[in-house]
Amino acid sequence: MSTERITGVLLQEVFITRRSLEVIVDLFYTSAVTVVVFGFVSRYLVGVTHQSAGSYLLLGLLFWEVIRVNQYSLTVGSLWNIWSHNLSNMFVAPLSVTEYIVAHLLSALIKTFVIFCGICAVAAWGFHFDVLRLGALNVAMFFANLTVFAWSVGLVLLGVIFQMGTRIQALAWGMIFLFQPLTAAFFPVSALPPAVRAVAYALPPTYVFEAARRALDVPGVNWAFVGIASAENLVYAALAIGVFSWMVARSRSSGRLARAEG
Amino acid sequence: MPVEMLLEVHDLVKVFRRARAVDGVSFSIPKGRIVGLLGPNGAGKTTTIHMLLGLITPTSGRIVYFGREFPRHRAACLQRINFASSFNTLQGRISVWENLAVFARLYGVRAPRAKIESLAAYFGVTALLHARYWDLSAGERTRVNLIKALLNDPELILMDEPTAALDPDIADKTLALIEEIRRVSGVSILYTSHDMHEVTRICDDVIFLDRGRIFAHDTPLGLTKRIPTATLALTFDGDRAAVERFLAERGERFRFTQPFSVSIETTEQAIPSLIFDVATVGVWITDIDVKKPTLEDVFLTIARGPRRVD
Repeated sequence: MSTERITGVLLQEVFITRRSLEVIVDLFYTSAVTVVVFGFVSRYLVGVTHQSAGSYLLLGLLFWEVIRVNQYSLTVGSLWNIWSHNLSNMFVAPLSVTEYIVAHLLSALIKTFVIFCGICAVAAWGFHFDVLRLGALNVAMFFANLTVFAWSVGLVLLGVIFQMGTRIQALAWGMIFLFQPLTAAFFPVSALPPAVRAVAYALPPTYVFEAARRALDVPGVNWAFVGIASAENLVYAALAIGVFSWMVARSRSSGRLARAEG
Repeated sequence: MPVEMLLEVHDLVKVFRRARAVDGVSFSIPKGRIVGLLGPNGAGKTTTIHMLLGLITPTSGRIVYFGREFPRHRAACLQRINFASSFNTLQGRISVWENLAVFARLYGVRAPRAKIESLAAYFGVTALLHARYWDLSAGERTRVNLIKALLNDPELILMDEPTAALDPDIADKTLALIEEIRRVSGVSILYTSHDMHEVTRICDDVIFLDRGRIFAHDTPLGLTKRIPTATLALTFDGDRAAVERFLAERGERFRFTQPFSVSIETTEQAIPSLIFDVATVGVWITDIDVKKPTLEDVFLTIARGPRRVD
């Protein structure tokens, strides 16, 4: 593993992010506008229902953005190279797929951290919602768990794109929203139909969102939920790495990696 | 002194489902040579190049760069080669400088700024370094792609139709640059193209692929010599019927392209005596044109069959 080559891919990410209005809109602008909208909705809900409903909504949004931005950055970061017919150039350099992915994971992490800090600041300043009320340890553990889950989803999507090409590229920014209702991001799991709850509890973010909501009401770390989320994440990450490696090997064998750009 | 081989390909095979795209291809590239990889569409040229670059996994066979097995020593091998293709472009959103800075990192170039500046000056694109890659013309992009291909001082460059989609003037300038690069750096090149004139101009050796197999590997001159026929075009004043009768009696294959112009398909060796003999039937020869077989004729013979030229 070469840090110089990883830095090279990171450098490319910096250049693309700086020059692409799409990235700025999809990540920074969308997150900022969404938190403002959710802030007003939560302020309204506090008036007509009870305080928790509004807070749950804003809390869910702040943590949902950790998933969305991480996954989007990881997957769409590679699409920029595919769209530019540059992916082959990258992989005929000594750069390995592992180095390439590590660089994109780091890039996704940095972008997500910056955006998360930004939207938390907007929530605190504009809507008097301080995410640190959950405790710094909770926030760090929630952030880490949601990041790992987003990376797992992003890695599988990236493998599918390497294997099937750009015809399924819409999944890169659309697929993740499937998990928004399934992980009960904005409401308690109890609001889901019983059959769907089983699916929800198979997904690590569900435990994170539940633990976060509980931490709002009762301060403290819910080690059980954090533990289950972490264990599930380990399984998901292992599966994602396996699926991604298999997809890359298949796309190299079928010639689709070389034709992914065409 | 033994010739140093930069690339050795042994019995390379690629099967895509039912199709055998590459079928037992073996060749080597010695240091300092330009080897052309030619063939009709679907011959297996690009699949071969992609296997040599590690983008496609071979079904079987061995690839050895600089004496080291590929892809087992992938990074070490790729560090010493590079790739240029008209089908792959650089990242369009970012500037030429930014693109080259990224690749300088990927190839671990020492003093990348100086390297990029000197190559940009050499290729005459210094003024374009801060332009977005998408805003460049096709010719400018080709030059930038060549800079990318030279960043790591490669010993071998794989070029996949680098002049495709370029107008003839820019293609000619690009070829001149490639010739200059070869002269200055002594780099070896594996060059695929459909343009026979390009190949004749720059390649030392030519490998003809057809249906995934090599069936001719020779110098451009050696390949053209495998087609024994040449075309003799004669324009004359005098009795056309006498010329027609004379050629028919000799058993020549001919056709009149104008009332007093005849095109005769013969062998190169027979041309002098044929001209002399035609003159003896009482006509005055006013123009002579000899068309020797070109690499294009070899290519067409392969593409249209019969399947062997030797």
